[in-house]
Amino acid sequence: MATGFLTDTTVCIGCKACEVACKQWNQLPADGYELTGDSYDNTKQLSGDTWRHVAFIENPKKKRLTGDVDLVALAEDVKEDLPNGAELDGLGRWTFMSDVCKHCVEAPCQQACPTGAIIRNEFDNVYIQPDVCNGCGYCVPACPYGVITSVPEDGRAFKCTLCYDRQIDGLEPACAKACPTNSIMFGEVEELERVAEERVKQLHDRGYPQAFLYGTPEVGGTGGIGGNHSKFILMDVPETYNLPENPFLPQDKVAGATVASAVAATVIGAVVAWAFRG
Amino acid sequence: MGVSGIRGSMAEETKRNGKPETSHRPETDPKRDDKNYYGIPPIKRAHWTWQIYVYFWIGGIGAGSHLLATIGHLLGWKDEAFFRTTKYTTLAAMTISPVLLIWDLGRPERFLNMLRILKLRSPMSTGSWALSVFGSMSGLVATKQAAEDGLLLGDNFASRLAKLVPDRLVSVLALPLGLYVGAYTGILLIATSVPMWARNWLLMGPTFLSSAVSSGLSWTSLVLHLGNWGESKTLGALKRAERVVLVIEAILIAASLIRMGKWSKPLFSKKLGPLFVGGTLIGGIAAPLVLLFGKETRERSILASVLVLVGGFLFRYVMVVGGRESADDPESYFSFAKKDGGRPEVSGEGSE
Ligand code: SF4
Ligand code: SF4
Repeated sequence: MATGFLTDTTVCIGCKACEVACKQWNQLPADGYELTGDSYDNTKQLSGDTWRHVAFIENPKKKRLTGDVDLVALAEDVKEDLPNGAELDGLGRWTFMSDVCKHCVEAPCQQACPTGAIIRNEFDNVYIQPDVCNGCGYCVPACPYGVITSVPEDGRAFKCTLCYDRQIDGLEPACAKACPTNSIMFGEVEELERVAEERVKQLHDRGYPQAFLYGTPEVGGTGGIGGNHSKFILMDVPETYNLPENPFLPQDKVAGATVASAVAATVIGAVVAWAFRG
Repeated sequence: MGVSGIRGSMAEETKRNGKPETSHRPETDPKRDDKNYYGIPPIKRAHWTWQIYVYFWIGGIGAGSHLLATIGHLLGWKDEAFFRTTKYTTLAAMTISPVLLIWDLGRPERFLNMLRILKLRSPMSTGSWALSVFGSMSGLVATKQAAEDGLLLGDNFASRLAKLVPDRLVSVLALPLGLYVGAYTGILLIATSVPMWARNWLLMGPTFLSSAVSSGLSWTSLVLHLGNWGESKTLGALKRAERVVLVIEAILIAASLIRMGKWSKPLFSKKLGPLFVGGTLIGGIAAPLVLLFGKETRERSILASVLVLVGGFLFRYVMVVGGRESADDPESYFSFAKKDGGRPEVSGEGSE
């Protein structure tokens, strides 16, 4: 049985309960008190200490305030006469998205790991065994979604465990439990796929033709990754959410690269031998 | 402290135009690149620090030297100084390399976990194994050399045992592993999501290998020249080999750049461009070629060797550090990981 997440971004209200629940359950340290100025997102990204991250996207796609906007005038609803050539192209809407490890079917991080620290556990989740990882850091650039990260103070790499410990006890992951809108759903992958399909259809029917499922072999889980066990319902192009549209499994190139290197080795060896014979 | 810092910056913000403004002004702040998600990199860079590119360089010299020693044996060379130089070089390189690699680990005390499993699709795994086995084999070969050179404190049991090592056979058996040590560093880079590296998947290994061999040749030639040890026949052979291998390296780098296309941008950045163009392309390949094809003097050979070694080091430096810049650039990754983007050949291929 494979378990996973379905994160329906259309009902997310950006409350960050998942971020907090994840930190608390997994006893992850705080990220400091840095104010980024990036909307209300002071977490910025997933990291070794942050396994759920809520992205705050303002006015996606053209629906942006451009130019030098006078917010006071805006608040007073003075729509004509915006100063300095500013354009008001509709205030648009908020888009929130709670990001998390994608739990890839063919996981690049797992294939990269030389120690075998990263395994698939009995729930078919991608899990790092913290007692095996030696902190080589090779999984980090391998992940196509920037999820897994080394923690310098600790030395090892960390990411979402899909609350392995809670699942063993028959509980759902802390983030899914805490989510007040059911934006984060947890369950069997096949069941979630069915739910997602229905929801996307419903959104289409309600006049949101842009809704789609991210994390399938067609989009998000492409290029040999074979889809993700943790999927997302998105309302805009993946890049808006800082996600790649068409990522790939880097290890698919290892065999070809090795053959090319063997050919090169033969040629270079022969050339040196030729030069040495004089 | 934090609070006063925030107040200070807010006061500054308010001063602009004398109007209150939000802290985040998506397209009006010229200092910010807010493409995509606030310009935050969508993938994470590798943490690798200086130990890694120094290792790439030293490991390459060791691998190259082993190739030379083995070919020398196979051709029946007798030049003792040549064998001493190449074999001790390989031994030294294979002793330093693991130290650097372990140093770079987040948990150095667990380095042996690298050898608890062999994963053929992980170049980090195969490379660690190759380094361990090749390092041990080259150690055996060098020990025999040391025994013959009387470095094992005369005629004792250990030195008699060392002299029994079938060094030619061991060298030949170790050759594929040694060459892999020279090439896998490139394969290690391509098997990631970093666009600049992954894009050049076919040629990165061969390019690193050619650079390893040219560095090994230059190092050997440098030592023999400086010590006035080498037979002139050996020096001539090394020079001929340096010429061809450098030409091969130049072709491979040129082809790599073509293949990388716009994703090679970090190599020409303000910081890395001078090192790559000046240090590797001109200083490390073009200039040595001019020197090697010109008039034959000891000084010219020495200078050429030094230039090749420096160029080889800078090549690895810009490749590793350029990968950081590449990973930090959202535009670069998104254009790469796009349908019909940098990897049109991937779709379909991975699904079998
Ligand atoms: S999203 Fe990244 S960290 Fe998560 S399983 Fe996939 S490759 Fe590994
Ligand atoms: S850092 Fe740890 S989990 Fe990541 S590849 Fe290295 S050993 Fe595996």
